[in-house]
Amino acid sequence: MVGGLFSFLRQTLVELGNLLGNLVPPRYFSWLTVIYLSLFSWLLSMLARLLDTTAFTVGLLATMSWIFLAIGVGWALEANKARIFGIPIAPWVSGAILCLFLFGSWGGRWLQPALVTWPLVSFAVIAVPALVSWDFSFKNPSPAERQRLALLFCLSLLFSSWFQFYFRIQTWVRDYPSLVADSVENSAFVYRIPGQTVALPAGVTHLTVAEELLREQVDNKPWPSVERWLLNLDGQRRVMRQRVRSQTGRTGSLEDSLWQLDLQPLSNGDGYTLKLWAIWSGPAASPSGYYLEKTCLLMPINRGGLVPENTPPGYSTTQWASLTCDLETPRLAGHPRGIGARDQV
Amino acid sequence: MPLNDVLSELGMMPLRAIAFQSLLLMVAIVLEAMVLRQQLRLGYRTSMQYAATINLLATSLGWVAFLAIEAVLPLSLRSQVISYVLFNRFYTNDWIDTLPVIVVMVAIVAFFITYWIKLQGLLWLLQLLGQKPIDTTPEAIESNRRQLYARARRAQVEGQRSNSPRALAVLQANALSFTAILLLLLLVNQTGVVGW
Repeated sequence: MVGGLFSFLRQTLVELGNLLGNLVPPRYFSWLTVIYLSLFSWLLSMLARLLDTTAFTVGLLATMSWIFLAIGVGWALEANKARIFGIPIAPWVSGAILCLFLFGSWGGRWLQPALVTWPLVSFAVIAVPALVSWDFSFKNPSPAERQRLALLFCLSLLFSSWFQFYFRIQTWVRDYPSLVADSVENSAFVYRIPGQTVALPAGVTHLTVAEELLREQVDNKPWPSVERWLLNLDGQRRVMRQRVRSQTGRTGSLEDSLWQLDLQPLSNGDGYTLKLWAIWSGPAASPSGYYLEKTCLLMPINRGGLVPENTPPGYSTTQWASLTCDLETPRLAGHPRGIGARDQV
Repeated sequence: MPLNDVLSELGMMPLRAIAFQSLLLMVAIVLEAMVLRQQLRLGYRTSMQYAATINLLATSLGWVAFLAIEAVLPLSLRSQVISYVLFNRFYTNDWIDTLPVIVVMVAIVAFFITYWIKLQGLLWLLQLLGQKPIDTTPEAIESNRRQLYARARRAQVEGQRSNSPRALAVLQANALSFTAILLLLLLVNQTGVVGW
């Protein structure tokens, strides 16, 4: 009975030992040691933070932890011969960890420098062991190795340029948000994954501002004054453009100067159809460009109820203006005044 | 859908440029390796390595130059560049009439700068690989001291003499690859998407 218990205990201990044995590195000089070092320094940095030591201590320990992690993971991948299409991925993963560490703590726009330097850091991860020996003296690699390193350096520079080009495109889109609303089917450079919700061009906002102004100026005004207002079309266009500029100027992007606002009344029965146009004069997919059109109906209506008591007879026939605008702003190719008229607008 | 969110967050990616450039680079490297191999009597593997190195160097320096110049271009010209990249055409603004001239000028200048970078790159590479850029001549057996003086005196002549086959080979290689790339680009744009 007692012997059985002992043998059971011994069995358990042996099992436990085996379990622990898997976690203990086979040699001290192995990747598992380095990962443990990383964990250890991370724990120490946590401890240091808990104990309110100086930021330098915490930072130093955290840095050690990151560097050990990069080395350990790289070593582990290399030891296990992790390969994608025959290309060893260890240096790229180590480089990614180092970039995460270097730029991740920046906050804000850290992704851009991290991605742009990633290939170069990965190259450094490959090059440093080849060029520097353990005692920090310069190694002289064989010509074949030097050729390989030169090729890799050029390749990583190219990858880095591609990432930078991607971020440059994002800058363009930030500067000219309406470009996103256009189709990039014909492009030889960029590709957009289909099925994305495409934003509205900024011209829609301009049209809304113009509509508000129009509403202030002519809606619920006596019809004769509206007729007078319409006589000074050039002046009204100028006022409208000024208003849009002052309203969007605060958030101002570069593309605002590429939107041209225009207004054209067309007589329609007793009243007018007002066409509001936001004309895009920037880069566009279609050769003739495009514009957005908002259609408003300006009609005279009789409003007896508003007539004051002590008015002479005949005043009650005074008509008032009523403005109704369409909500949608269809996007039309070309120019509303024809191609030739583009310069005189 | 979170995946779709991530994808739309990515926005426009220069995937076509990357695919195109990889293709054109492969064509250029193969063609230039052929020329270098014939002209400089190199091995198959060596000529491929040289051609790949100098082409990748020239391409990445070209990107660096493009990204740097694009950032300092006047806005109206910059928007033409944007138009070309995103829509494969130039749009009508003040520059539209001068643009064809500018494009041709840029192409010619790019050709010569690329040539210079490739030649320099090849010389650097040979130096890096420890291969003497100067061929060993009978004088090489002479005493070190005399050789030093002699080299100092003849440096220019010697350099020119030994560089000329290399310069010629790189020039031919560059011309061949530029022609091939130009033909490929014309073929691709044959569909009539180029606006001007």
